[in-house]
Amino acid sequence: MIDQAAHFEDVPVAEPDEIARLRRRDSAALASVVARYQHRLYRYLRRLVREPAAADDLFQQTWLNVARQIGRYDSRRGFDTWLFAIAHNAAMDLLRRKTGESLEESGRALAAAEPDALSAAMASERTAILSSEMAGLSAPYREVLTLRFEEGMKLEEIAEVTRAPLSTVKSRVGRALETLREQMTARYRKEDLL
Amino acid sequence: MTTHETIRQLLALSAAGLLDAADERRVREHVRECAECATALDDLAAVSAGLGRLPTPMAPPDLLARTEARVAAELAAQAGLRHGALLAVAAGLFAWMAALTTWGLYRLLTGSAGWLAWLVLTTVPAYMAAGAVAVMFASRRRLEKSLL
Repeated sequence: MIDQAAHFEDVPVAEPDEIARLRRRDSAALASVVARYQHRLYRYLRRLVREPAAADDLFQQTWLNVARQIGRYDSRRGFDTWLFAIAHNAAMDLLRRKTGESLEESGRALAAAEPDALSAAMASERTAILSSEMAGLSAPYREVLTLRFEEGMKLEEIAEVTRAPLSTVKSRVGRALETLREQMTARYRKEDLL
Repeated sequence: MTTHETIRQLLALSAAGLLDAADERRVREHVRECAECATALDDLAAVSAGLGRLPTPMAPPDLLARTEARVAAELAAQAGLRHGALLAVAAGLFAWMAALTTWGLYRLLTGSAGWLAWLVLTTVPAYMAAGAVAVMFASRRRLEKSLL
């Protein structure tokens, strides 16, 4: 699938009346919410598991789990964090079963893949390289970066999704950014970073 | 730990916009006087900005339709399960009420108050009928899941 430089931060969240319809297992309401969140949820899953086929499976599994667990959703919590926490749990189960994927925090889990020619052509070279450097980080680092910088979540929300203490989230964000900075500055002079 | 080392550890969180006002102020005051930290903060800010502009991987065009179909099947299966459970309870209640009404008839025909025999002959089949309904719906649920 071709990557496109599109952003979905401003997509409206589920409304209270929509949540009430979800609780009644209204299939039209659920279809509407699935459509609304599809790009954001798919992006999060792709960042986390990297493989399109795995992200595809997890996307469907997440919504099946939402259909099964919506009765337990506490509407005082944000729907976004609840949804992403369900996706997180499904993804972590998959990553634990997968060989070769580390759930340990480390700056470099895989060698950064060279950006493919098409994505390099579509996006700027530096963006493509930053994307491939991020993909080379370990899963916990990739996760906090996408939740912070693509989902725009606060520390508390990231902690809720990942079920990690605030101090751990802070430490992961800090180390992940530092790792990327080191890798990017090794490639470019400072003035070329922006 | 020196002030420089303390602040150095806060730079990434500052670039990520995750510091509280007091820590953010300390960072700003320090980087005005420390060229090394100012450079590091600029670099981190550039990386942070870049992360917010990464290309978004697009979902396959048919993913939405496939997901909606699976979710609709799941909701239908859940509705069937609830319906089956209600039906099993109703069948059990009906059978038990029917058994109770036979008490008078049983006494009339047998001329005795053999309540234990009546209980065995009526209540047990009533619960077996309810159990059969429940098993039938559970089997249907398994079949529907296997077809997904």
